[in-house]
Amino acid sequence: MSARVELREVTKRFGAVEAVAGVSLEIAAGEFLTLLGPSGCGKTTLLRLLAGFEAPTSGTIWLGGQDVTPLPPYRRPVNQVFQSYALFPHLTVGENVAFGLRMQRVPAAEVKERVRQALELVSLTGLDARPPDQLSGGQKQRVALARAVVCRPQVLLLDEPLSAIDAKLRHAMQLELKRLQRQIGITFVFVTHDQEEALTMSDRIALVNRGRIEQVGSPPEIYNRPATAFAADFIGQANLLPARLVAGEAGGARVRLEGGLELRLPAGAWPEGVAEALVSIRPEKVHVAKSKSRARSKFPEDQTNTFEARIEEEVFKGATDHLRLATTAGTRLAAVVANESALGEVFHEGDRVFCGLHADDLVVLRLG
Amino acid sequence: MNTPTLSRCLLGAVLALSAPAAVRAAGVLNLFGWSEYVPQTVIDAFTKETGIKVNFETYSSNEELISKLVAGGGRYDLVQPSDYAAEVMIRQKLLAPLDATKLGHRKNLLPEFQKRPHDPEDKYTVPYMSGTVGIVVNTEKVKTAVKSYREVFQPAFKNRIVVLNDNREIVTWALYTLGLPINKIPKENLAKVRPIIAEWVKLVKVFDSDSPKTALLNGDVDLGVVWSGEAAILWNQHKKFQYTIPAEGAHQYIDVLAIPTGAKNQAEAHQFINFILRPEVSKMISAAFPYTNPNGAARKLLTAAELANPASYPKGGKIETFRDIGKTAADIDRLVTDLKSAK
Amino acid sequence: MSGVESAGGARRAPGWRAWALLAPLLAWLLLFIVIPTGILFVYSFCERDELGRVVYTFTGESYARVFDPIYLRIFGWSVGYAALTTAICIVVGFPVAYQIGRARDPWRHRLLLLMMVPFWTSFLIRTYAWITILKQEGLLNAVWQALVPGHGPLDLLYTPTAVMIGLVYAYLPFMILPIYGSVEKLDPALIEAAHDLGAGQLRVFSAVIIPLTLPGIAAGTLLVFVPSIAMFAITDLMGGARVPLIGNVIQNQFMQARDWPFGAALGMVFMALFAVVYWVLGRWREREEAAG
Repeated sequence: MSARVELREVTKRFGAVEAVAGVSLEIAAGEFLTLLGPSGCGKTTLLRLLAGFEAPTSGTIWLGGQDVTPLPPYRRPVNQVFQSYALFPHLTVGENVAFGLRMQRVPAAEVKERVRQALELVSLTGLDARPPDQLSGGQKQRVALARAVVCRPQVLLLDEPLSAIDAKLRHAMQLELKRLQRQIGITFVFVTHDQEEALTMSDRIALVNRGRIEQVGSPPEIYNRPATAFAADFIGQANLLPARLVAGEAGGARVRLEGGLELRLPAGAWPEGVAEALVSIRPEKVHVAKSKSRARSKFPEDQTNTFEARIEEEVFKGATDHLRLATTAGTRLAAVVANESALGEVFHEGDRVFCGLHADDLVVLRLG
Repeated sequence: MNTPTLSRCLLGAVLALSAPAAVRAAGVLNLFGWSEYVPQTVIDAFTKETGIKVNFETYSSNEELISKLVAGGGRYDLVQPSDYAAEVMIRQKLLAPLDATKLGHRKNLLPEFQKRPHDPEDKYTVPYMSGTVGIVVNTEKVKTAVKSYREVFQPAFKNRIVVLNDNREIVTWALYTLGLPINKIPKENLAKVRPIIAEWVKLVKVFDSDSPKTALLNGDVDLGVVWSGEAAILWNQHKKFQYTIPAEGAHQYIDVLAIPTGAKNQAEAHQFINFILRPEVSKMISAAFPYTNPNGAARKLLTAAELANPASYPKGGKIETFRDIGKTAADIDRLVTDLKSAK
Repeated sequence: MSGVESAGGARRAPGWRAWALLAPLLAWLLLFIVIPTGILFVYSFCERDELGRVVYTFTGESYARVFDPIYLRIFGWSVGYAALTTAICIVVGFPVAYQIGRARDPWRHRLLLLMMVPFWTSFLIRTYAWITILKQEGLLNAVWQALVPGHGPLDLLYTPTAVMIGLVYAYLPFMILPIYGSVEKLDPALIEAAHDLGAGQLRVFSAVIIPLTLPGIAAGTLLVFVPSIAMFAITDLMGGARVPLIGNVIQNQFMQARDWPFGAALGMVFMALFAVVYWVLGRWREREEAAG
């Protein structure tokens, strides 16, 4: 029922602009894959190429093992949920949902039943006689979804479907979509610029930047081991610290950060033949303690870089504290600590603290 | 506006509006005439000589003239009705009697154009130009002789004929072919001509009273029944256009000049009429519009070529003028409309 | 309470300023439409004398004549011509309006301008231009005979075909502009959605594009159908005045036939016909909007 999707060396040029540059991607059948990236990165173009609204300048597109590159949208076993919903204003909700089935010349009785099921699936039972302009944003979204899903496509494309919905409803709908996908098992290709959304919903994320895919992986993979500076910065927060190689040691490398702090990196962490790079560490992975003994109890010595710092700024955010740390030498870091319990430590501006960075939490990224 | 100018304006207005006593040095004439009938050169010459400014408006049918006169009379000083229209207008007292003492050149007119039935005492009108309605043939396209209405309306000429868009004219020609009178038309005569006109209408390509020569010049039609003036212009363009008076009989019209009752510039109007009656001026009119000139003195000044134009000066034939036919006009209109729209 | 009291105590009802702005339009409507229509209405019940002047005696005779089969037939022809003109205008005008509506700037504005330019010339001159093109020795025949030698010239002028050409040409922009307005408002995402759901080119047209541009088509129909019934200049000039349409008949009554009461009666019946058409179309649209 659902299909595997493949893009092979797909390029799309609009005039002089290369919106998609030599992209190759494999999406497994039944997978929930998100194309994530900033505005203008080409993710929507990729989606439109899959749908058939654009034809690639070069490269091929395969669905379920078939080359669908020359096929127009109405011949592909693909359906799309549009960002603006694109509900037909001259048809009722029921007629909208039935549209695709009518185009397939499904018999009327079957149409009626399948429409009812689709509306039930998206929790809109009973609204089939309503005209679209009387629906709320969330309801319209669900009608658009029902309309696409009822056609039983092999792949469902979703173009930022939740971007126009307010925050609270959006969270609920994210989970609902995820549940739905699990339930009906269709391959979902989801486009968004919201990294939190991507992390919540996806089986895998493809990070798109300037027409290229920078990294593909599961949310934890992308989060913990970003492959590029863009990846590290786009998802979550990251300290991107410019570092210079000081010396290659037997078990690894020693690098110096701006402001003088030196770190030891494990073997293989620093790329060969490179003098300067970025060291990335997520703020929540910066361990902070008020006393040295406390710090030592947390961190095993041989795998951790420890250093002293002063809290320059502290922002209380309820469940977490956001700290800006500065070493005596001037290296600056952002850290996030959880306010675990009344027994936990309380941090204030101006405190002297001991910090630790675990080797496995450090990611070295090439410059540029 | 300062006082001297204002009072001068007022004075001028008062003088202009006061009763026509002597000839004025600067006046106005509101002329309402047929389109394509009074040459601009004549009007300009008149203004140059007398200083009278001429406001010239036009119409293209007698009915339009009467409609406008009846609707808003006294604006016009001089009008140009056809004979039968003048007859009705005289009867309805729409025309003012002319002052014969001001029309010294009247004696130039040929006797056959004087004392006509529409104005037996020549009290209200002066003939301007005359003409006939007859057959014009493009002899390059039509090799047979066409000298009667019957010969025009033949199946062989289907879709190659132009006729006037004038319901009374068409009925008149049909009446002529049956030898019936054209000025007393009882209902049974209309019934008799009905089938004839029904046939004719199917053969006609263009109905045009404004400029029937256009279709002939364009080559869209090969022959037709049109105003003699149009045929004369065609002849001047190319001798292949031959004009004949139909054998069964033809309609002659005399267009006249007359002054509407209550006209404000009657003196100027008389001046204009007298001006037109001068032979050299009348000759100018003939040069521009080669109709039949009723002015004998003017005819003497015309060239041989002009006099030879068969449309301007046709030889022989039975010709009659129209008389007013009152309410029958409505029946005629209805009949022809009916036949035209029956397809 | 018709207005809201403002701080100064003055009522803010549709104030005198609004009426002052509307006054010229209302005066124009009154002077040039309401009063003349009233006059015609009075005339339609009058008689005429031998000179064609209106005699104020009440008679329904003119109205009786209107329903004479001759004139009903002419009405029928006029409506038929108008309907055919409207149909052709829709068929020809829709693709043009669609292309213009979907074109990108600056082309869209250029195309609109190109379409409007003929309007800057007098309608009568444009009609005469067509005569120059269609006549036997005209442009069209020159091209035709150059392309297909041996064939006679095309006999186009003074035929019903010429009349149709003239009518369609005159009214086409009135069909294109409203449809263009509708097309412009069409969300391109809807067309993509239709394609995505399996509709091929043709079905997108019938299932999405036409229903959504129907308001434009309806407006265009009103702008073309109704005025073209009364058009008389084109039948006279390009049709050789062979088939009198209702406009010709009415014009005739006021000119040659000098039967103003009859002309007025014809005009009144005509206006009643329009009123009925507008009302019917209006109700249809209301019903569409309520249901859709």
